[in-house]
Amino acid sequence: MYKERDISINFLGRNLDSPFILSASPSTDEVEMVANALREGWAGAILKTTSISGQQVYLKNPMMSSFGTMSKKVFGLGNIDLISKYHIEEIEERVKYLKKEFPHKLIGASIMGSKKEDWQTLASRLRKAGADIIECSFSCPQGSMGEEPGKMLAQSVEATEKVTAWVKEAADKTPVLIKITPQVTDIVEVAKAVKRGGADGITASNTIPSLLSINIKTLEPYPTIFGEGSYSGLSGFAIKPITLRTIAEIAKNVDITISGNGGAYSWRDAVEFMSVGATNVQFCTLPMHYGFRVIRDLKSGLMHYLEEQGFTSPSDIVGKALSHIKSQEELKNPETHSQIDTERCIGCGLCYIACRDGGHTAIKWNEDERRPKVDEDKCTGCAMCMQVCPVSVIKMEEKLNSEIYYYTEER
Amino acid sequence: MEEPLKGLNRVEAAVEAERCLYCFDSPCEKACPVHVPIPEFIHSVRSNNIQGAREIIETSNPFIETCGILCPQENFCQSVCVRKSIDSPVRIRELHRYVTDNSDPSKGLEKSEVSEKKVAIIGGGPAGLTAARELGRAGIKTVIFEKKDLGGVPLQQISSFRFPQKVGEREVKFIHQNFITEVRDKKITELSELGGNFDAIFIATGLQDETTIDVKGKELPSVTYAVKVLKTLKSGLPSNIGKQVGIIGGGNVAFEVAIALKIENPDRDVKIIYRRSLKEVKAFKSEVDEAIRVGVTMQFLATPVEIRGTDHIEGILVRQTRLSKEDETGRRRFEEIPNSDFLIPLDSIVIAIGQSAAPIFSQIEKTEEGLIKVDENFMTSVVGVFAGGDIIRGSGTIVESVSDGKKAAESILKYIKGGKNV
Repeated sequence: MYKERDISINFLGRNLDSPFILSASPSTDEVEMVANALREGWAGAILKTTSISGQQVYLKNPMMSSFGTMSKKVFGLGNIDLISKYHIEEIEERVKYLKKEFPHKLIGASIMGSKKEDWQTLASRLRKAGADIIECSFSCPQGSMGEEPGKMLAQSVEATEKVTAWVKEAADKTPVLIKITPQVTDIVEVAKAVKRGGADGITASNTIPSLLSINIKTLEPYPTIFGEGSYSGLSGFAIKPITLRTIAEIAKNVDITISGNGGAYSWRDAVEFMSVGATNVQFCTLPMHYGFRVIRDLKSGLMHYLEEQGFTSPSDIVGKALSHIKSQEELKNPETHSQIDTERCIGCGLCYIACRDGGHTAIKWNEDERRPKVDEDKCTGCAMCMQVCPVSVIKMEEKLNSEIYYYTEER
Repeated sequence: MEEPLKGLNRVEAAVEAERCLYCFDSPCEKACPVHVPIPEFIHSVRSNNIQGAREIIETSNPFIETCGILCPQENFCQSVCVRKSIDSPVRIRELHRYVTDNSDPSKGLEKSEVSEKKVAIIGGGPAGLTAARELGRAGIKTVIFEKKDLGGVPLQQISSFRFPQKVGEREVKFIHQNFITEVRDKKITELSELGGNFDAIFIATGLQDETTIDVKGKELPSVTYAVKVLKTLKSGLPSNIGKQVGIIGGGNVAFEVAIALKIENPDRDVKIIYRRSLKEVKAFKSEVDEAIRVGVTMQFLATPVEIRGTDHIEGILVRQTRLSKEDETGRRRFEEIPNSDFLIPLDSIVIAIGQSAAPIFSQIEKTEEGLIKVDENFMTSVVGVFAGGDIIRGSGTIVESVSDGKKAAESILKYIKGGKNV
């Protein structure tokens, strides 16, 4: 074994041994699964969303579907899952058990109610059971139990503030996280409402309402249940850029702790989430796809990253990228050109095609040598060529006055 | 009998298709003798438009089914695949075969109205059938002269463990029913035997004579020739060859017959005897690999001196050779090592050093090797008489014969219409 580096981070007063926790999901719906995950090295888990006793939960199966290519089938994962079928009595016991077994791990629980009384009952019972954190699902895309049926709670600024306040009142000193949806006109307004309601943090964000696919032979949607299907919540790698923007937008405008959630598939994605303001990162689709064992690479990758970049703690990353994010109008206007390293170019001609049919016809093709050549007069520097180069040998040279900046993209 | 290797399934094909970079100006397409637009058909495989992919291949390759299985891709398209700069070439032929395995011959291939023009095609192998399809599409009547069944080498010689008979038959039947006006069961050795008037003639007889070795004992019983053995096995009859067989030669036919004999009787010792080394072997890598897999052994750097025996064979006396430097053609010559003879005990010998052109069509100009000479339009020394396939190039690949058939058909069309090129 190699010596482990400290990657602990303080999250709402709790010390996490790493920034990586499991989100409220199928992975946290059975107590033994959670225990296994914590033993594997996850820093904590938020138990799948529970409700008051008597709340009927009608799960429909198959609930999962995915989209992608054959070699990357689960590019995005969709589900028509609902909250847990386990009610608060059971979850209370699980929280107590897990806290006793894993006193140094973060044990949170997610709740969803419809009336004030429900929300407050759930919050106070979890507080008494010793939960480290209470997360409120204001954003389950598949059937909400909010005030307006069919609408997610977090799509209403007023309801968000009101319900947040109810929960915080009952949770008292136990930190409250509100899990919001990116499916709103103005995410900042919602985040401000969460803050006004007194929550300690925001989970940004959740699955995104979607329609996974249509079987083009039967014309039935996926997942299909007896020929019919429904809208799914989309998770996984496909939604990462949307989550990244959601976190950044909140972090830039509202002073509140953020737990990043939605689309992180590696430690690199987690670093990105943290760099735009998340203090920790929740995972769901990745461990559902490859198992809890992925925690080892998440931690090891982060350790090496911190060391290579000269950071002393994961908290050093939090929000570090924000100052670089501007509105499009604010950006400088350099002279930009594509630069192709023809020595390393393999001659596929994709940059030529992309520029010819999707750029500014600024790349010429040398048929004899089978190599591209940039016409600097025509090249506007859009970087489409760089996107399609399969061997990443194209960079963009940006010139402003006498200063030069080179832009490449890392994967 | 071993089953032919299975093609890719949907998942394998999709994953392989995703590896194609979809190059501009793709080298694979240029390296393909019939210029199949490879990236385009692979793109259709990627989108699971298999019938569309078939149309793309079929338009440029009339022998689509056969080539999907037998084309030596490592010599053509795959040898220049840009993907190999990243990892390894796309398995193009396997994707081609996936398309043919999972689609039907296109019904929509466009055909011109039938004219009164008529072309005689001598030989019903890949070159002749290809020319027939191309001429048939252009509305020209075609009469094929073929003494045997249509199909040529792939159907009559290539072992069924490598090439499923029913695939070849389906292909030939499709071309026959859709593009050939008439098939005459007649062997033609001189143009005068054709009888009747034709606007042009296409000779695609292939190679018919076996090349032999000039050593003592070659007339002994139990010395036989590769193509004869392959045809016997292909027709389902036993080879009647002994338990210790030596195959003389290092080409595809030598390896093919070695594999076929080993598969016919796995207890039989089959040894390839070749005067150069493994590196100089002309057979495709896939054939060599298969021979090793089934247990064929090989004696390199040995050249036959004498076949020993009286009423039956006792063995072959061979002399060790060494290789000299590369000559001007880049090939290493061999020289015999004096006093190095040794006997390899054998009870049968199969000679597989190639085939040559039969001395036919006396009025047409030939090369030194007896092959028919053609110009860049595939026309022979006799105006209006064209030739293609192995009879002009010697032992070649099927796809090269298909290419000849296509190009010759183009020239024939121009010739018939009085174009300037002839």
